[in-house]
Amino acid sequence: MVTSLEGLASIFPPSRFVRDAANQAAFESDGLTAFRAKPRAVVIPETAGEVIAAVRWCHENSVPFVARGSGTSLSGGSLPVADGIVIALNRMNRIIEIDPDERIAVVEPGVVNQHVTDAAAKYGLYYAPDPSSQSVCTIGGNVAFNSGGAHCLKYGMTSNHVIGCKAVLATGEVVSMGGRSVESVGPDYTGLFCGSEGLFGIGLEITLRLLPKPEKFHTVLVGYKSLQAAGDAVSAVIDSGLLPGALEIMDALAIEAAEAAVACGYPPEAAAVLIVELEGPAEKIEHERKQLDAVLATTGHFAERIAVDEADRLSIWRGRKSAFSAVGRLSPDFLVQDGVVPRKRLGEALVRIEQLSRESGIRVANVFHAGDGNLHPLIMFDGKQDGALEKAEALAAKLLRLCIEMGGSITGEHGVGVEKRDFLPEMFDATTMAMMERLRLAFDPGLVANPGKMFPGTEAPTLTQSGLHPLEKAGVISRE
Amino acid sequence: MQAETSILPVGNRTKQPLADDQQATLVSLRELKGIIEYEPSEFTFTAYAGTTISEVNQVLHQRQQYLPFDPMLVDAGATVGGSVAAGLSGSGRFRYGGIRDFVLGVKFLSGTGEVINSGGKVVKNAAGFDIPKLLTGSMGRLGVMVEMTFKVFPMPGCNQTLAVACDSLETAMQRMSLAASSSWELDAIDYRPASKTIFLRLAGPEQVNQILFQKISKTWGSDVTELSDGEAIWRAVNELAWTQPSRSLAVKVPVHRSLMGEIVDFASQRNGVDLHFSTAGAVAWLLCESQDDVDHLDQVLLGKQAAGLVVRGAPERPHIGSWPRTEISLAVKQAMDPVSKFPRLFHT
Ligand SMILES: Cc1cc2nc3c(=O)[nH]c(=O)nc-3n(C[C@H](O)[C@H](O)[C@H](O)COP(=O)(O)OP(=O)(O)OC[C@H]3O[C@@H](n4cnc5c(N)ncnc54)[C@H](O)[C@@H]3O)c2cc1C
Repeated sequence: MVTSLEGLASIFPPSRFVRDAANQAAFESDGLTAFRAKPRAVVIPETAGEVIAAVRWCHENSVPFVARGSGTSLSGGSLPVADGIVIALNRMNRIIEIDPDERIAVVEPGVVNQHVTDAAAKYGLYYAPDPSSQSVCTIGGNVAFNSGGAHCLKYGMTSNHVIGCKAVLATGEVVSMGGRSVESVGPDYTGLFCGSEGLFGIGLEITLRLLPKPEKFHTVLVGYKSLQAAGDAVSAVIDSGLLPGALEIMDALAIEAAEAAVACGYPPEAAAVLIVELEGPAEKIEHERKQLDAVLATTGHFAERIAVDEADRLSIWRGRKSAFSAVGRLSPDFLVQDGVVPRKRLGEALVRIEQLSRESGIRVANVFHAGDGNLHPLIMFDGKQDGALEKAEALAAKLLRLCIEMGGSITGEHGVGVEKRDFLPEMFDATTMAMMERLRLAFDPGLVANPGKMFPGTEAPTLTQSGLHPLEKAGVISRE
Repeated sequence: MQAETSILPVGNRTKQPLADDQQATLVSLRELKGIIEYEPSEFTFTAYAGTTISEVNQVLHQRQQYLPFDPMLVDAGATVGGSVAAGLSGSGRFRYGGIRDFVLGVKFLSGTGEVINSGGKVVKNAAGFDIPKLLTGSMGRLGVMVEMTFKVFPMPGCNQTLAVACDSLETAMQRMSLAASSSWELDAIDYRPASKTIFLRLAGPEQVNQILFQKISKTWGSDVTELSDGEAIWRAVNELAWTQPSRSLAVKVPVHRSLMGEIVDFASQRNGVDLHFSTAGAVAWLLCESQDDVDHLDQVLLGKQAAGLVVRGAPERPHIGSWPRTEISLAVKQAMDPVSKFPRLFHT
């Protein structure tokens, strides 16, 4: 029997209860464009009360729902459940409070990541987690995915910056986890909620920790003749006792793409470039840059460019930040993977990736957060060719297994979602999986919150062709 | 309902109020110790739960690395398991985050005795639910932690401690917030109302600390002095031993600015209570002489809907103030411990 949506419809004015195909189309997919599903309805709440009422209705009527921020998930996290409800949170975009004295921001879930930093800027503060999608992705989505960025080694992921969260759980219960203090007593439910991928409930009001803006940056771009040398340089920097804000590597193919897209002026002959960024008080950076120079001098690089001012710094980052969308110039479609390996095995992992790429005849570009071993191989294919997507996915699977085998993880920041749900049981043993299932049931006994994600499931979403996120095509965002 | 043979895992019982339960059999993990794996270049180590933090520190320091959150009660014998279970972080929490931010993975036994491998062994990982965070602060009531992996950082060159005199709470609050929002990259910001002093810790190369010290002095003039016994000050705070030993009851209260005044008033009205704020005012540590002090604090916290945890001494109960009783916390407990093998999460 199909439940009537009348009760749900009565919560919203008609303009925010969307059922027609044309207006729903935008919600059928997310950043993992290979998948698509049609929801029964999209609701667009403007208040916490409306979200709570909608979730309670879904719970009572056993209708699945998917919370949605900006739909930039790269793992299919915000892909609708066929015949379920999408709860679109973009209009819940108020910054409720910025308290410069306590250095916190209290925000609604639909607030865009970058807007928090913008609002905090006048106090000399900023919100540290910086996924490349930060100009569009929402704090609700960041919390659900425990999103990362280029600065995780030093500052941690989203959860290190979320100190409180009011949420409506899948059962309809409304809870306040954590609060305005960075410390708490009792089990850390806020920490558990971060990264729960929308399976526990919907965040309604999130309290974030803000940091003072670093006084000075020192950004260096270093060119190497081999990927191995760049990898070794990362180890040398780490072993020297420095703690850079960012340590990023791009390989030749990624450089080529970035060069073509934004003419970033990276050393043309480089097999790999390394970006190192130090940040902190001016005096400290003055001191540390000497240390860094000395270390880099031993790493056999053939080119070095030091950002002389902020514009120069941004131009170095532009190549890095655009690399992924830029790969769209080399290939009509690509899959971006997000595995983690122990840092010391980076070199080995890259050799294996190259091998696998050669064996399968599929080109792979590499861009990665080298400081924390977070690889982002870009697997290129042409979706119009028969079986190309399947072949690309088969290669992606091999890369994920490689990460597991090396003692790493199947995701550093993009989440499990739909894309990697079959790999979770390869990373965790059966008893651990069962424990996670039990926890999920504790929050959502009716399995209405984002079913079909994270855990291997029955209902397979529809595969279509892949490609760039619509916002990437429009040049609004680029991926890391 | 508690199982007839309920158990409570304990380490070296340095947080005695949490490591005690009338109905439960205590299971000590203190002999399950040793560092299993330490990879300086990975910034990670894995140790058995009963390993003392002081052993860990020794090993890390040899490679110029450390746990930046200032683990607590280290000299008293705290173990890594007990530290995570109690969820305690010292003054160093200010800069890079607390113990919750540095636990990457935990292997533990559930209430039914299954071995669960939660989290991971690499510094970045977003796969599956973050159970290690849930276990932080779980006080031995959600599982028996046997092995854990931590993230570590390179040690800064030198520490330098400054005292900033503040004649009132208002001045202190205003200065703490300025210090915390400054670009000085301070390592710790603590405040002790009774001594009218803010303590600042600079961590980095000595010359740099010196320059920053000059800058800070320019900001607040002669109110700023350099302390020669800096290490002793931080150690005393992190050991909860900055005052006379008779103040045996130690209470942790997470606070925010609107609660600070109330706590300061409470402490100044009671002879048997000493107060110290760490983490730029986010945590109040109260050392109390008697249960009567704790009972009064309980009332203050109840009035403010705030929670406190007695982590040392022999209180009537460790959980004071207002601990929200939610359906979900019961359901989570049930999921982790379906047969009620461990005591209830809290008694109030
Ligand atoms: C070009 C590009 C670059 C990217 N770069 C990065 C990067 O550098 N680092 C990184 O980590 N990620 C990156 N991502 C991935 C993505 O941006 C992040 O996962 C982001 O956090 C998703 O935010 P969103 O608002 O788009 O959420 P959505 O995609 O709408 O949702 C993501 C998940 O969160 C859930 N959710 C949303 N709101 C809530 C809420 N309020 N409560 C509970 N659950 C909720 C959804 O159900 C879904 O499961 C990138 C994506 C793109 C397209």
